[in-house]
Amino acid sequence: MAMDVEEKEQLGFPYWKSVRRTFGPESPFFASGNVERELIAKQVALDLTEDEKNKLQNLVAKECGVFFCPIVGCGSRLTSLEDFEDHYNAQHTASCSICSRVYPTSRLLSIHVSEAHDSFFQAKVARGYAMYECLVEGCSLKFKSYKSRQQHLVDKHKFTTSFEFFKKAHSSKKQRQKLQRKQGTHKREEASCMEVENESIDGLVSAVSKLSTSDSSPSSVSFGRRHTRGLTFVPRAVQRDKRPDAT
Amino acid sequence: MADEGLAAHRREPIKSSVSNVAAHRRRKNAATVGKERRESLVRAKRLCRVGISGDTDVFLENDMMIDEEQSILEAQTSSAVEGLKSTVAYQGKGAMQKRVNALRELRRLLSRSEFPPVEASLKAGAIPILVQCLSFGSPDEQLLEAAWCLTNIAAGKPEETEALLPALPLLIAHLGERSSLSVSEQCAWALGNVAGEGEKLRNVLLSQGALLPLARMMLPNKGSTVRTAAWALSNLIKGPDPKAATELIRVDGLLDAIVRHLKKADDELTTEVAWVVVYLSALSNVATGMLVKTDVLQLLVERLATSNSLQLLIPVLRSLGNLVAGDPNTTHAVLVPGREITDHVIEVLVKCLNSENRVLKKEAAWVLSNIAAGSVEHKQLIYSSEAVPLLLRLLSTAPFDLRKEVAYVLGNLCVAPTEGDGKPNLICEHLVSLVGRGCLPGFIDLVRSADTEAARVGLQFMELVLRGMPHGEGPKLVEREDGIDAMERFQFHENEDLRNMANGLVDTYFGEDYGLDD
Repeated sequence: MAMDVEEKEQLGFPYWKSVRRTFGPESPFFASGNVERELIAKQVALDLTEDEKNKLQNLVAKECGVFFCPIVGCGSRLTSLEDFEDHYNAQHTASCSICSRVYPTSRLLSIHVSEAHDSFFQAKVARGYAMYECLVEGCSLKFKSYKSRQQHLVDKHKFTTSFEFFKKAHSSKKQRQKLQRKQGTHKREEASCMEVENESIDGLVSAVSKLSTSDSSPSSVSFGRRHTRGLTFVPRAVQRDKRPDAT
Repeated sequence: MADEGLAAHRREPIKSSVSNVAAHRRRKNAATVGKERRESLVRAKRLCRVGISGDTDVFLENDMMIDEEQSILEAQTSSAVEGLKSTVAYQGKGAMQKRVNALRELRRLLSRSEFPPVEASLKAGAIPILVQCLSFGSPDEQLLEAAWCLTNIAAGKPEETEALLPALPLLIAHLGERSSLSVSEQCAWALGNVAGEGEKLRNVLLSQGALLPLARMMLPNKGSTVRTAAWALSNLIKGPDPKAATELIRVDGLLDAIVRHLKKADDELTTEVAWVVVYLSALSNVATGMLVKTDVLQLLVERLATSNSLQLLIPVLRSLGNLVAGDPNTTHAVLVPGREITDHVIEVLVKCLNSENRVLKKEAAWVLSNIAAGSVEHKQLIYSSEAVPLLLRLLSTAPFDLRKEVAYVLGNLCVAPTEGDGKPNLICEHLVSLVGRGCLPGFIDLVRSADTEAARVGLQFMELVLRGMPHGEGPKLVEREDGIDAMERFQFHENEDLRNMANGLVDTYFGEDYGLDD
């Protein structure tokens, strides 16, 4: 009898096993928690009262006057020192010193400079080296032509066919004249680089010196190797980047 | 490092610059899709409604738009898009300002209600023109407005979000370290909505390299940008393919940033970071392994102990749960009985069980059940803690889904760790005590429920009782609680598994010989 009982139990029954249970993130087990997440997000949205909105607005108006970016030719509307730093970083540092195009990452800027302005790059391309890098960071594939790189972006990375990394920009008349001048009187690469840099540095110096948070303006203002402590206010970004070693 | 902290503190007054305040307000006012579209609540998209320059005409709380209003809005939208097109073509003086104004107008139309006129915008051809407005070198204001428009377009229906495909590479590019914070944040927001749409778009974004720049945006210590990036990332890695999660944890500095944020960040940022940890720990074994080796468990427990914010507690608890469930090391190596951290874990889980919220209670019980599935020492620890009286109460009084989880905890306490394939041994001391304290009716109730899994759990526990109670008391106890009755329901039940289980028990313990020895 006992034996039979034992056997029967061995055969059929799925005994309680003490095991860990896991659930995938989209499992129905977690559904109610997920809904809570978005419900709460929505509730938070309605919480800001009129009073609070007013307080915030006053705070903003009191602390920041409005001023305009001092960099020559820019004039963007700015509302605080932080805003200026932010804006400066975005618009005035990752720009190509030759054609003034601006890029959102240093990597893209450097790719642009090689492809558009470097004759060594073009020479290697002409000799059949794969020089055109894929634009997606981490991909690390290289291609022999702009077109084949473009095709790769479309095929592998699902870019749309209308995406163009290097668009022929329409330059303003002033810019075109500047460019023509440079091309006419100097050797393209080295000299034009230098000139542009000098120009922009001069511009910066004159513009930034007008921007001061103290009562007295500094008597001397300089960038580059000489120390910049003459200025009472220079955005950190300016101090950091405008060193000639960075060529 | 200390200096940095001091400096940051001193700068506090200036820190509330326009972009921070505005982003903060935007954050607070972002609304998800309306109540009627219930399934959208789980789609994890966020509309961007309040903006930078303090427009007071933007925010409407009651958004029941009547048909007429809707068609007016649509007409306005079409003309706004047309207006925008003409400013892009125009090259003369003041072109930039005209363009920004046109963008702003479109953005306002797209921010007004919970149902923005997305279809009308798309029909009018908004996407190609917005893509043009995103080109490199465009002024910040233009980028911001364009990204904002795209954000709200992406918060709509699936096919509408898909329309954003041409814009994706540019949105991703503007996440770069050279972009202004508000631009990169707005782009992250748009991408977060796209990623929240579904697996297909997630994969496109991943193949276009969205992961790395978003991950980098999580590295700074604070700022609304960090929070938006974390939210967008949580949408991006949620799978079901674990590849993205594994890739994310391997990003240089990211694990560090997670630890830092869990330790020091405010509630809002911690919440989003916790959701990232939820997905990392649910999907990627590599990530789980790496997380368990850091202080993360300790930090999660501390947050559970000190926070009262429901939106924070949910992902933190779930992260803890995933780490316990996903990696045996968590209970074997970290949450070892005898250590302070282990006692704290039990404490905070009890705290969650005592809370008012269903989600916290259920998931806390789940975590406990997994700890109870550990070693004998773990079972003893839980058995002698304040958890048990609470669990016994919940087994009789709680809503159904919670009762099921509680059942798992109690059952696991009575069964020794699984070794090999044979019948697992019982921990009689625990079984006798728990049955003595009246847990049997609760299990038999589960057998009576319509839920297959619950019935199974109930039957399995009944088997333990029948087998394991000393002096052959088991069958009598079961009979007394109407257990035979409950089992006989399955005699001719359509579910073969349950049928066999129930009949097997009845045959074995309540066969012809039953009752004869009395």
